[in-house]
Amino acid sequence: MSASIESRRKFIKKMAMLSAMTAAATMFPGIIFAEEQESNIPNGNNLDWKKGPCRFCGVGCGILVGVENEKAVAVKGDPKCEVNKGLLCVKGYHQIMCIDAKDRLTHALVKKNGTYVKTPISEALDLVASKMKQTIEQHGKDSVAMYTSGQSTIPEGYVASKLMKGAIGTNNLDCNARLCMASAVAGFLTTFGADEPMGCYEDIDHADYFITWGNNMAEMHPVLFSRMLEQKNRRGAKIVDFATRTSRSSMAADKSILFEPQTDLAVANAICYEIINNGWVNKSFVEKHCNFSKGLTNMGYGTEDKFKFKDKPTGISFEEYKAFLEDYTPEKVAKYSKVSVKDIKYLANIYGDPNKKVVSYWCMGMNQHTRGTWINNLVYNIHLLTGKISQPGNGPFSLTGQPSACGTAREVGTFTHKLPKGVVMKEKHRRLAAKIWKVPYENIPAKPTYHATEMFRAVDRGDIKFIWTQVTNPMVSLPKVGRYTKGMEKESCFVVVSDVFPTPTSDVADVILPASWHIEKGGLYGNSERRTQHWEKMIDGPGETMDDAWMTIEIAKRMGYGDLFPYTKEGHVEEIYTEYRQFHEGSKHGMAPLEVLQKESGAIWPYVDGKSTQWRFNAEYDPACSNGEDFHFYGKPDGKAVIWQRPYEPAAESPDNDYPFWLNTGRVIEHWHTGSMTRRIPVLHKAMPHGYVELHPDDADNMSISNGEMVKIVSRRGSCTLPASINERGLPTRGQVFVPFFDENMMINDVTLDAFCPISKEPDYKKCAVKVEKV
Amino acid sequence: MKRAGIISLFVILFIAFITVWNYSYYQGLEEAYIPTTYDSSSLIIPSEEGVFKRSKFALEYAKMPIDATHERSLATYYKNRAFPGAPPSIPHEIQQDGTIGENSCLKCHENGGFVDKYNAYSPVTPHPEMVNCRQCHVEQKTTGNFKENYFAKNNPPKVGVNNALITSPPMIPHQIQMRENCLSCHAGPSAPKEIRVTHPERVNCRQCHVPSTIEATDNGIFKRGN
Repeated sequence: MSASIESRRKFIKKMAMLSAMTAAATMFPGIIFAEEQESNIPNGNNLDWKKGPCRFCGVGCGILVGVENEKAVAVKGDPKCEVNKGLLCVKGYHQIMCIDAKDRLTHALVKKNGTYVKTPISEALDLVASKMKQTIEQHGKDSVAMYTSGQSTIPEGYVASKLMKGAIGTNNLDCNARLCMASAVAGFLTTFGADEPMGCYEDIDHADYFITWGNNMAEMHPVLFSRMLEQKNRRGAKIVDFATRTSRSSMAADKSILFEPQTDLAVANAICYEIINNGWVNKSFVEKHCNFSKGLTNMGYGTEDKFKFKDKPTGISFEEYKAFLEDYTPEKVAKYSKVSVKDIKYLANIYGDPNKKVVSYWCMGMNQHTRGTWINNLVYNIHLLTGKISQPGNGPFSLTGQPSACGTAREVGTFTHKLPKGVVMKEKHRRLAAKIWKVPYENIPAKPTYHATEMFRAVDRGDIKFIWTQVTNPMVSLPKVGRYTKGMEKESCFVVVSDVFPTPTSDVADVILPASWHIEKGGLYGNSERRTQHWEKMIDGPGETMDDAWMTIEIAKRMGYGDLFPYTKEGHVEEIYTEYRQFHEGSKHGMAPLEVLQKESGAIWPYVDGKSTQWRFNAEYDPACSNGEDFHFYGKPDGKAVIWQRPYEPAAESPDNDYPFWLNTGRVIEHWHTGSMTRRIPVLHKAMPHGYVELHPDDADNMSISNGEMVKIVSRRGSCTLPASINERGLPTRGQVFVPFFDENMMINDVTLDAFCPISKEPDYKKCAVKVEKV
Repeated sequence: MKRAGIISLFVILFIAFITVWNYSYYQGLEEAYIPTTYDSSSLIIPSEEGVFKRSKFALEYAKMPIDATHERSLATYYKNRAFPGAPPSIPHEIQQDGTIGENSCLKCHENGGFVDKYNAYSPVTPHPEMVNCRQCHVEQKTTGNFKENYFAKNNPPKVGVNNALITSPPMIPHQIQMRENCLSCHAGPSAPKEIRVTHPERVNCRQCHVPSTIEATDNGIFKRGN
């Protein structure tokens, strides 16, 4: 009986839905007008649409690439993909246009007597392998290094790790994700003991408030921002923009709150103070699922070579934590954060209200921070104290910048301390890696070596004598890049660069290897929400281009490790993924099998019994929870997350009389990072042809600088001349300037400081002191 | 004694009244002075804020049925402008010639709606904050010319040819200064049918549509330093 009522209800529901859909279809203007508006556009009926993830950011939109006569001619959003539901951003729609840039690297180039000579690729690979082998023989294993990318595919990262750590036996492998996600990783590991967000993008459909911490999502994660705007319009969800600069996101947000650079640490603590002081703590959640801890303070900033730091966590009581927060009353914090007491209380109110669902979003503002690990911890504190975590619409969400920063850099582990599962420091993890790689366990060294910044310092010092970079452009993206470019130019180091286009990095190479672009190879990416995505090769690349994974395999073979890399040229992507999957078996990190990924637009790990896990640590959704409670933070041995006591400490370099301005650097919607791809796409170049420096109109007035005038930005490290931008894309606060870093002609990273977070080793690109001069 | 007490009480009350009155009188004088300091720290980025200005109406636009008999076309849209990008002239009579526009124009042109008198939907202004409408928009009282004129009107940008690829979103082929608010012309019943957006609910227009007419010094094809 009850069953029939149930089915009748379902039937009525379905009927109602159907009639609503029919009504909507008759009213929807798009269908009627499509004909008139698109009459001049070829219909593209003969196109073969192939599925894959977008090449660019960490959102991981599903794309469909239209292929005609072996050429990619169109891109559209994949309506079946849960991430973007058919929508893309301007970069995504035009991505394939870079393939045909005239200066595409199509053949290997070897530097002979100062000029690059076109060389057959097999010969170039011979040279690279023999040089690498010879360097190891002469100077030891730790004299060779590889620097890869959060844009490397999973197979590319996996074979790089296997070659360096398993076969050669050195931990000299790091990647550009160190410049973008390392603080997020350190934050997750210190608080939860397990990397990557607990929630997923579906949180957007449930949350009442979105609080963005130093994060211009309208430009950097545009498709997610559009999903938020949709919820704002449909359900009245609110967006609160908490930032140091007024941006496009602030314009679209319901409220914009500005703070003085670096004081986010204090404001986060003040929010916790308010939550405790007003009795908004979710007591049963905190008692059952949280510990309190403190670490070392006055950690330093890592600006000197061979800087070392190791945190020492000590457990504390709730009372001690409460006493610590006395220094962070809203009144005290308002004085130096330039956030009003009212606004601090407003933020605390949102987090503290048990009836409001809140998601916090952040990306580079919190990660590129000399206290990046701390600020990640502090935002987790807010969510843990209120118990707003791991539930639909409630939780902290660390966004990634690169398409596979999660999938490759973090999960495969292309960092010096990482292995595909766990870290090199733990014997258990080394043994597992050695078993799957079929190498002697002793091969894998137990001590991490160089993180990104230190790796290039070691090149400059002459300690590294061979370096191979893949899928990245460090000679534009490193902080204080002037020193590192000079280091790479030195005779002491042999530089190999694999890339699709010539860049300032390939300019300092001894050998340039021509790489396949995105759809000219197959691969897998992993996006911000733990979604693993697969695509197959769609078109052939030009000339002798080769995918990066296969280049690594060819080198390994030439160095005599052929038996460790028994993959076939046609099937290596699939073979490598199947081998890699063994590392993550189990309910905590199980990866979806290839057949599922080929069929669907990605799957979220842990993938258990044919199902994605959308909210980790919540027993209702996550089968790995085993403590019988509602929540289980199984990353930590005792199943409890850690609330960290982390103080406010000043930035590595603050404005003073000689250098009175803060310099903040970042990105724009039109360009992807250093612009080597997007600047070669005509649509994007036309919309954003060059770099600029944003000034506050009052500061510009004081120095009589008008819009478009050339100004020179000078720091203790270098200078950069760019046109002023006043009241255009963004508006920095008084005493601050902002420069996007995509323009290799206006290299702002000559000016930035290479200070980093001592725990995560991620540099701070958002804060250093500069002066502004009229040219 | 009793009388002295009552008198002194009234005296105190009187003095108190005088003091309070005096104090409030001078306070009142001071408050009458409102300092006119210019606060330029307003958080507005003109080119960015405009895009979102009408977003609260976006859902209604998406749901609105098409009124095919009263649609505007792009041809009539440009007919009303001296050249593409010029402010449109006022194609109807004005009742009060003495006003700058302001409330009278905005009554119909701020949010639009059907106007029985003209049997048409009123176009929506992208810049309702500028209230001196008739500074730029003037009537056309005659169709003739004072003297013949050879001014050649540029052809307006075409529709359907601004895509770089099939299926890629069209670029913005016109200048957007004072027209940052996309939805005012590209959505709603008064939007010319050829440029009426199929997805007004998307709001963040410039996520996908970027201008192709940026004014910048053309550096030519980029050449590497070495």
